[in-house]
Amino acid sequence: MSEARFRIKRFDPASDAAPRYDTFVVPYEGSLSVLEGLFSIQERDDGSLCFRYCCRAAVCGSCAMYINGRYRLACQTNVSQLHGGDITVEPMPHLPLIKDLVCDMTDFFAKYEYIKPWLIRDEDHDPEGEIAQSPRARRKLDMPIDCILCGCCYSSCPSVWGEENYLGPAALLKAYRFEVDSRDEAGRQRLPDFDNERGVYRCHTITNCVEACPKELNPTEGIQWLKGAAVRRRLFGRRK
Amino acid sequence: MTAQVVGPTTQGAPPPTSTGRPAPAGRMRGAVLDQSRGGMWAWLAQRVTAVVLIVGLLTHLVATHVFNLGHLSFLNISDRLGSTFFVVIDVSLLAAAIFHGLNGARMIVLDYWLKTRGSRLALTIGLWVLGSVTFVYGLWALWPWIAR
Repeated sequence: MSEARFRIKRFDPASDAAPRYDTFVVPYEGSLSVLEGLFSIQERDDGSLCFRYCCRAAVCGSCAMYINGRYRLACQTNVSQLHGGDITVEPMPHLPLIKDLVCDMTDFFAKYEYIKPWLIRDEDHDPEGEIAQSPRARRKLDMPIDCILCGCCYSSCPSVWGEENYLGPAALLKAYRFEVDSRDEAGRQRLPDFDNERGVYRCHTITNCVEACPKELNPTEGIQWLKGAAVRRRLFGRRK
Repeated sequence: MTAQVVGPTTQGAPPPTSTGRPAPAGRMRGAVLDQSRGGMWAWLAQRVTAVVLIVGLLTHLVATHVFNLGHLSFLNISDRLGSTFFVVIDVSLLAAAIFHGLNGARMIVLDYWLKTRGSRLALTIGLWVLGSVTFVYGLWALWPWIAR
């Protein structure tokens, strides 16, 4: 039987004056993910421990946390990856906190919704059947469609920390996902949403988002493409 | 009674961050985003001036430290500025360096301070005035060779 020591940042804004760290020892056999460790603590030690989770398969992005000083998904982080010692679990920094490990994602999703994260078609030309796409055009989507909206990039971005209205890497990566899609015909419709100083031009290619992303995506690359697309459309009248 | 569907709310104080400190005042909290336009020209000009700086500085360094190695003097520089090519390079460098530097400083200021549209506009106008005065001063220094 092995043991893992969890050091968890606790804070309830409704009742606590300041955050504190609680330490819990979790016995386990074989393998243990950080999320399983949190379940164990919640069931055996402290039922008031608060955290988000859903799919437990690194697909939903709910359990993004700051684990041992890095952005990780609790469900896909095995304690054996953390090389012994205490496992420090904190909420994602720089985001408003609801309780313990649960951050307020209201801004994050408001910004996500703002960039119209859906396929926009020119209704006059909308075909009855499926919209064909070449393998080459489809490959452009390989990177951005893997985003699970965990918010790690958003939390890690210094431009977000300094400018509360900056859309952030996740929303802009989603804009890139649709703008680079050969089936999308938004043209200039989505352009004003990201072509401004609260949009792509607030990104200074610091690439914290690339470091933070647990799915190893590259939001900076997408944002740079959007900057080029804005120039191509406004100066040369191109659609993409 | 049917439930009333409401969007993201801005009511109430924003919750504190994980550090225990309150979230910054004015945090969006689901409010309508400021749809200020602009930014493309500043971004594009920053890239263009960066290219001008690279080309101009390389030309300047090569001309000064490779071809004039060991002969760095006012007379040598003055002779070099007798060429229209080097006058164009120096005036371009002057304009690019002033714009690139001031626009970079403007971006830093906009990142961390000056959140209202009026204050941002005032900063931009102020920097244009400062940049123009600096450019004219630089032109004045180069004028004997420009007017030659």
